[in-house]
Amino acid sequence: MSEFLQIRNVTMKFGELLADKDVSFDVPKGMICGLIGPNGAGKTTLFNCIAGYYAPTAGEIFFEGKRISGLPPYRIARLGIARTFQVVRPLKEMSVLDNIMVGAFLHHASAAEARKAAERCLDLCFLEEYRNKPAGDLTIGNKKRLEVARALATNPKLLLLDECVAGLTSTEVHDMVQVIKRLRDEGITILMVEHIMEAIMPIADKIVVLSHGEKIAEGSPSVVVHDPMVITAYLGEKFARKLAEQKAAAGEGGAL
Amino acid sequence: MQSDSIKRAIPWMLSLAVLALLPVTGLLRGSFLSHVLVMILLNASMAQAWNIIGGYAGQVSFGHSVFFGIGAYGAAYAVTNLKMTPYPGALAGAVLAAVLAVIIGYPTFKLKGHYFAIATFAIVEVFHRLFMIWEDVGGAVGLDYPILKDGWRNFSWSRSKVGYFYGALILFGIIFSLVRALEKARFGYYLKAIREGQETAESLGVDARRYKLAAMALSAAMAAMCGAFFAQYNYRVDPSMVLSLDMSMRFVLITILGGIGTLWGPLLGAAILIPLQEYTRAYLAKLGPGVDLVIFGLIIILVMQFQPKGIMGMIDAARKRRRKLAAAGNEHEGGRQ
Ligand SMILES: Nc1ncnc2c1ncn2[C@@H]1O[C@H](COP(=O)(O)OP(=O)(O)OP(=O)(O)O)[C@@H](O)[C@H]1O
Ligand SMILES: [Mg+2]
Repeated sequence: MSEFLQIRNVTMKFGELLADKDVSFDVPKGMICGLIGPNGAGKTTLFNCIAGYYAPTAGEIFFEGKRISGLPPYRIARLGIARTFQVVRPLKEMSVLDNIMVGAFLHHASAAEARKAAERCLDLCFLEEYRNKPAGDLTIGNKKRLEVARALATNPKLLLLDECVAGLTSTEVHDMVQVIKRLRDEGITILMVEHIMEAIMPIADKIVVLSHGEKIAEGSPSVVVHDPMVITAYLGEKFARKLAEQKAAAGEGGAL
Repeated sequence: MQSDSIKRAIPWMLSLAVLALLPVTGLLRGSFLSHVLVMILLNASMAQAWNIIGGYAGQVSFGHSVFFGIGAYGAAYAVTNLKMTPYPGALAGAVLAAVLAVIIGYPTFKLKGHYFAIATFAIVEVFHRLFMIWEDVGGAVGLDYPILKDGWRNFSWSRSKVGYFYGALILFGIIFSLVRALEKARFGYYLKAIREGQETAESLGVDARRYKLAAMALSAAMAAMCGAFFAQYNYRVDPSMVLSLDMSMRFVLITILGGIGTLWGPLLGAAILIPLQEYTRAYLAKLGPGVDLVIFGLIIILVMQFQPKGIMGMIDAARKRRRKLAAAGNEHEGGRQ
């Protein structure tokens, strides 16, 4: 089972800068795995290594037992790994539906079938009303949704989401979280980078914490938030206290 | 879906049929008008060929006069030196042009930046010089056609231009039908995606380099077919006629004027520029060589100033305005009821 995505001693250097330092962890099939850490921790860089945009300076990445580090992005996409971009990249002059269709064409040669598949993703990500709008004209929140819809249209086994709820309103965050849960229930494994703890903690089966390029913790959300290293490196006392209070309150009420 | 695409094809087929009936009406009896029509169809086809790589895939080529020239020389060489019909020569020219396109694209599409544009720019001069000194194809003098029997076999007509009109219409029909189909297919979507964001396209499984190479090869082969027609029409070819930057710019300018990356832009661009050029040629010639290009350059700069998407962009904007007005009008009426 743990043969799904394996990250083995991945190091990524930009000149002298060590963006990722000897990072290893597994993402088992069917999970939602959160990747968190302060700004500049090396999360996006690790995504870029998995998706083939960078070849790691050292270390290896395996997907379903096959070594993928060093392969070009389009080959990795064809193996079933789709990614969103933290800095959104709409295909600006194309309509929202056409953007998603580009993804859908990966497994549908005919335009009619690709359109049908794309329409499903359009609905799933709450983009129906913007169907024929040029993608460049969308608000940032909708561009984030388009990132997810387009990646989803490639029918991936593993979905890499890089801060896909950042910039959304709290109801939109809630909607997107529901979507992500639904995808997991459909069998898609998810590795997501997120700063908004309220979005990731309730749904993640596992959390990996990076700080200054190094993995400092790994485990279930409740274990990770109590890890003293994590608290000092990232969460800060305030959030940890809030969490403890919430827990106590929930315990009294008998819920959860 | 099948019947849908047939329905969509009806207006296009009808327009081709109407064009095909033009000679029967007697409108084309004057040879000048038929000449202008032939030139519009030819230039629209050339621009559309360029539009595949330059418009849809977004890779600007300044080397299309070379592909055009290879097609022209292919046809002319088959007729003059090999005493064959022009068809095998045109076909060989198309294949060679596609091969050359891949040779240029293969190393340059790998690199980021303007290497592709620069490389296509450079081959124009290289091929011009090469053909100037290549004795087998007549050097600077070029190739002159002998007197041939009129008809489709030789693709040559000396008495009227109706034959050439149909030839140009077929060329136009083939290239526009091709791009029309491509636009709605995976290939077209992928080219546009590469233009709008290559890394994004790659994240969706698109082998960008392979698709750009395929687009470039197709575009070059189509340009070569246009060149073959051009040689047949002029009954001769020499290096300066085809292998020049002026000729390369023609491909680019017509497309930009009409609307880059759109299906009908190349036709609109040609339908406006060619009559202008043909009717003012005699007058402008007095001012010196190249003046017409300067004037067209100015027109294009003016158009781009107002609408970077060319005339197609203007039409789209006007349509949108009208729709908005209509919607506002409806709302207004709805309010009164
Ligand atoms: N292409 C690059 N060239 C040079 N340095 C880079 C490059 N990409 C990232 N870095 C650096 O590597 C470090 C890690 O960056 P990365 O984008 O992976 O962080 P992150 O964890 O995604 O941060 P954030 O939460 O702000 O998105 C940063 O110091 C960044 O400046
Ligand atoms: Mg990041």
